[in-house]
Amino acid sequence: MEIALNQLVPIPLRDKILQQQSDVWNSNITFRPGRFIKIKAPSGTGKTTLIHYLYNIRYDYTGSVSFNGKPWPQYSSEELAELRQQKISVVFQDLRLFDQLTARENIELKRVMLPKPYHPAEKIQEMAEQLRVTHVLQQSARTLSYGERQRIAIIRALMQPFEWLMMDEPFSHLDDANASRAAELIAAECTARNAGFILTDLDDDQRFNYHDHYHL
Amino acid sequence: MQQFFALLKKIIRTGIGRVRFLMAGIGLGVAMLLILIAAQVNTNFNELLHGSANASETIDYLVINKKITNETSGNESANAFSDSEIQELSKQPFIDSFSYITSNQFKVMAEIPAFGIQSMLFFESMPNDYVDVKTENWNWKEGQGELPIIVPNSFLDLYNFVFAIGQGSPQVSQETIMAAAAIKITIYNDITGESFTGKIAGFSDRITTILVPQSFMNWANKKYGGQATKKPSRVIVKTKDPSNPQLVQFLKEHKYSTNEEKLRFSRYRGIVDIITSAVSFFGLILLLFALLVFSMFIQLVVESCKYEIQLLITLGAAPRQLQRYLMKQFVPMYFIIGGACFLLVSALQWWASVQLAKQQMFVSPYPGVMTVVSTVLILLLVYIVNAWNVRKYINQH
Repeated sequence: MEIALNQLVPIPLRDKILQQQSDVWNSNITFRPGRFIKIKAPSGTGKTTLIHYLYNIRYDYTGSVSFNGKPWPQYSSEELAELRQQKISVVFQDLRLFDQLTARENIELKRVMLPKPYHPAEKIQEMAEQLRVTHVLQQSARTLSYGERQRIAIIRALMQPFEWLMMDEPFSHLDDANASRAAELIAAECTARNAGFILTDLDDDQRFNYHDHYHL
Repeated sequence: MQQFFALLKKIIRTGIGRVRFLMAGIGLGVAMLLILIAAQVNTNFNELLHGSANASETIDYLVINKKITNETSGNESANAFSDSEIQELSKQPFIDSFSYITSNQFKVMAEIPAFGIQSMLFFESMPNDYVDVKTENWNWKEGQGELPIIVPNSFLDLYNFVFAIGQGSPQVSQETIMAAAAIKITIYNDITGESFTGKIAGFSDRITTILVPQSFMNWANKKYGGQATKKPSRVIVKTKDPSNPQLVQFLKEHKYSTNEEKLRFSRYRGIVDIITSAVSFFGLILLLFALLVFSMFIQLVVESCKYEIQLLITLGAAPRQLQRYLMKQFVPMYFIIGGACFLLVSALQWWASVQLAKQQMFVSPYPGVMTVVSTVLILLLVYIVNAWNVRKYINQH
């Protein structure tokens, strides 16, 4: 599954973007399957916007984003749902957990969304142990710290089958040790699926063996 | 899917506005009851009217003539049926068959010496199929001196209970008259005449007239009648259902009159028709309101969980999954209500059949086809309207 960007320009950032050099905006690039891709950019240059475009929840752009050769607007809502259940997973910067559910339920929701779950239920426990959040699994998502929520959101994203994982500053609230553990888990899960990921961040890092680097 | 729905239950709170939902449910129940009862009453009434267990006779005969008003009195041709009127009458769907009633175009004098009665008389005749007295004597051939006649039952009653008592004459039975009474009948015109011995062949309840065989009437009219054949002024019709409101309406419109007694069911039926349609109309209105409230309830639920539904869809929940979940929250109640209403009407029907049977009226103890069909149709309608609403509001996000 390829993701192709064709002259993609966000309408709100248009003037700013046309003035400066970017690897991504207003150019033609293709993200090849199975690649670990890092997109580095300072604040306010549209990292979150790009992730939202790639995940097709924002549409205020010119140019096109094609998934598997087909531009996003041509997908029906049922087709989108199928892609989001089986081909693309995401970790939002603002995490987007359900406050009315416990941490475990938030993860479970994504696991059982597919009639035949990708991972068994025990996998939640296993990953939670790996990321040191076992103790908060039974707590309401509302009561968790930002770092804990971030790790729950990562586990949730890893519950489903995918070919691409989109991550928007996924380690922003984790200390180095926790971030490394999370990166290790993500890399293992991606490798197991032959999947690639697109990760945005502010700085350079060595947490993954990135195949491609882009500057936004 | 079970586990997913269990989690959805915590996210999409259908508890909001639950009271309103229950009220709409009650409304749906009442509406369904009204419609089902109307359908069932209609079925029962039809069964009472046409069912073989209730009817003594499935075919009824009506003698129809024009109403004589002040304008038409004395105008013989206005009171007779014209060809086009006869044609129109014969084309009506509620009339199985019909025949003219032929009247005499000669003069008749009758005399019963045994009772000391002498009177001018009249005859009418109609085809044998329409005569309710079935007897071998009912025929006449040219040259036959004995003439069978059929008189209405009411004539004998008038004689026995009114005339005989007043005159001090003996009261007689049907058998006595049929065996004994010989009536001297003379038919004549201005020029010539002929006498016959009248024999009463039977008594009729169907038509208030004095009947002679059609063959005699044809022969006598030809021999003693005038040149011009007169138009018929009375016809007899065969109908399966004299209470058919269409028939009654037709007679009324054309100012025809007939035996009102036979039409009396029509009035009851008219009333029942009005009541059942009023009840079903009210039921339909109520159903409409129930559907409206359901739609508003679905909108309320979806609106109140707007953020959650958006996030679920963002995370990959299929709109179809959410629709199925929402339908699962609402639909069981509709089917429970529908089932309960149907059972209640079935129980009522069973009870009514027992009560009516005590009065020799027989209706099926089971609900009619109309009732079953109505139940299915209403539930189908509710389901479709709900599915449509759920789809509409989910797809807005």
